[in-house]
Amino acid sequence: MNLSDPEVLELNELCGAVVDGRFTEAQRARLERWLEESHEARGHYVRALGQSASLHGYAAEVHAEAPEAPVALAKSMRYALWWTAVVPAAAAWVIGLFFGERGAGDDPGPTPRPSEFVGQVTAAKTVQWISPPLPAGAHVRKGQKLELASGAAEITLDSGARVVLSGAVELEINSAWEASLRRGTLKATVPPEAVGFRVSNAAVEVVDLGTEFAMVADAHGAEVFVLKGEVAAAPRASPGGETILLREKESRRFAATGVSDVSDSVRKFARFAEPLQLSRLMLATRLVHWSFDEADGDVFRAEVSGARAEDSDAKLQLLTMTERAAVRAAGRRGAAVRFDGRTYARAMAPGISGTAPHTVSFWVRVPEDAPLSDAYSMVTWATKNKKLGNRHVGINWNRDRTEGPLGVLRTDFGGGHAFGSTSLRDGRWHHIAVCFSPGDDSADTPVQVRQYVDGCLESSTVIPGRNRAPAVEENAAMNDVVWLGRRIGPSGPLADHFRGEIDELFIADRALEPQEIVSLMNENLLPITIVAAHR
Amino acid sequence: MNRDAMTETDSRKRLMALMTRHQRQIFAYIYTLVPDRHDAEDLLQETSLVICEKFDEFRPGSDFVAWACQIAWWRIRYSRQKFARSKVIFDDEVLAKVAQTAGEMAVELDARHEALASCLKKLAPRDRELVLTRYEPGSGVAEAAKRSGRTMDAAYKALNRLRKLLHDCVTHELATQQPQGGAA
Repeated sequence: MNLSDPEVLELNELCGAVVDGRFTEAQRARLERWLEESHEARGHYVRALGQSASLHGYAAEVHAEAPEAPVALAKSMRYALWWTAVVPAAAAWVIGLFFGERGAGDDPGPTPRPSEFVGQVTAAKTVQWISPPLPAGAHVRKGQKLELASGAAEITLDSGARVVLSGAVELEINSAWEASLRRGTLKATVPPEAVGFRVSNAAVEVVDLGTEFAMVADAHGAEVFVLKGEVAAAPRASPGGETILLREKESRRFAATGVSDVSDSVRKFARFAEPLQLSRLMLATRLVHWSFDEADGDVFRAEVSGARAEDSDAKLQLLTMTERAAVRAAGRRGAAVRFDGRTYARAMAPGISGTAPHTVSFWVRVPEDAPLSDAYSMVTWATKNKKLGNRHVGINWNRDRTEGPLGVLRTDFGGGHAFGSTSLRDGRWHHIAVCFSPGDDSADTPVQVRQYVDGCLESSTVIPGRNRAPAVEENAAMNDVVWLGRRIGPSGPLADHFRGEIDELFIADRALEPQEIVSLMNENLLPITIVAAHR
Repeated sequence: MNRDAMTETDSRKRLMALMTRHQRQIFAYIYTLVPDRHDAEDLLQETSLVICEKFDEFRPGSDFVAWACQIAWWRIRYSRQKFARSKVIFDDEVLAKVAQTAGEMAVELDARHEALASCLKKLAPRDRELVLTRYEPGSGVAEAAKRSGRTMDAAYKALNRLRKLLHDCVTHELATQQPQGGAA
């Protein structure tokens, strides 16, 4: 039986009410009866609801294409590409979560992209390089092969794992979470934030379970020594070999012939216990800090390495004077600032709009029931970088499920995005650190964003150095200004807002190392060696 | 790479390819039964995780969408308590009937999705903007009304009119795509 025109009209009305969430009880009963009795009505209902599902998809694509400008719909629609562009990302993160991958943007591809930095040389001692020399401070790339003739070099990977290479060594850096030792001696120190770090070679793969271990590789196999904690060692050369859990002061030799005890292990353990004096990299750092503990009227004081820095004080923008009390909240340490959707703050952060790397770190608490409209922006600033189209950088939580997990840390920059993997929308305090390295204006220099949540590297995103979004005019009044609690456009704050609490905001004028970020998280200051080098 | 690792990699690639290709259809199926974007996306995420867990049980060559929709259906049944508080709720028997119809219409819905793209392009810019603003993530009828300068009542009416227009346009598009002389 076909539906009559009046019936179709009524069904459309009911389906519209369902989709728009304004369903009366009478309408529900009417539609339910219809759906129970009529196959044609069910077909019409499924088509109508299916159409709305598709419209959600198409609208999400338009939204994703123009995340910052007022939506220029006619120009930015790319209907045919929606599911090829957006859904793979959604599928990828679900599947990635299931397979237990670490680091959303850190999936090793078949061909390492140039300039994708995953670590840094942080210390050295009379090192002789066979591969191109890397001075202290030099970055190491994903896929880079390091070869030493003698001496020692320490590499700190972005995951927080540190490896010291000594003597004649050949090592390939596969990612921030993995390295392959071809030959020579490696000693790895892995903090809790980097548990899961792996070192492999032809004979064995060692997965760190929170420890300090050493590996010595030669042409016939590899010896593994656990100095602290424990590791899981999986033999690779002998088929069917089971993974062995090695604990502190245990060692094994892995070879094609099987697994055996290490000869003269006592002497070898003693050698690894000897301290190695390395010349450590000490970088000058300007670190601006807003504790939000002390306020003078509407002004929160800023400090640079313990000294008052009035130029950087954060001034709150309040709608009424009665709101002043409402912006103070109990913080992760002392007091925090609460943003209620109407309040926002601005402060000067010299240099942040330029091309030098910066790290922004803070504690944040996002309400568990925060609506999607409260996601913009925890911290944001304008850039004067042609490659980014002079557009702003925004540290938000993700409100678009089609692009990444809902509620995770999301950094937007000139048309690119970086996503974390932990939902911030749980009513708990989380420590956030975003290392943003825009590079210079050259299209050859990529933009790199590292995101840490609670001290753990959650993503390392590299966007080739091209402008992915329409450029806006540089606005000198916006340069070097940091905004809290609001999204910004080319000329100032927009209506889009963040709702939640922020505490202990730090801005450093370089990309901090993982252990420095952990120090800010745990100690609320940088390691003493860094402070001493303050300029 | 050992054999287990290779098997896992192959399995992962196959799963990734299938999810990439069919996730939209699974979402449409869920949305038909739970017509709230956020609830439907939650269920899609839960379903995706179950699909990952149970992927060993999927027989290559069989209908992935049907298998995935069956898992989605279990998730929806499992989540009935959660949605019992929601405004839109049909009883179990009606929901089962709608689920069966939605499963049977998966291919047609896929074709309608493709046709909808060209129908959207045919809308007047102001109408298209209203529709897409309404469905934008984090938006709704109120936002669409505000941005278009309409009252809420006018926006509801306009949206109903436009959804009908799109529905008819898609039906027409699909009818004109049918091979000539197919129905003797």
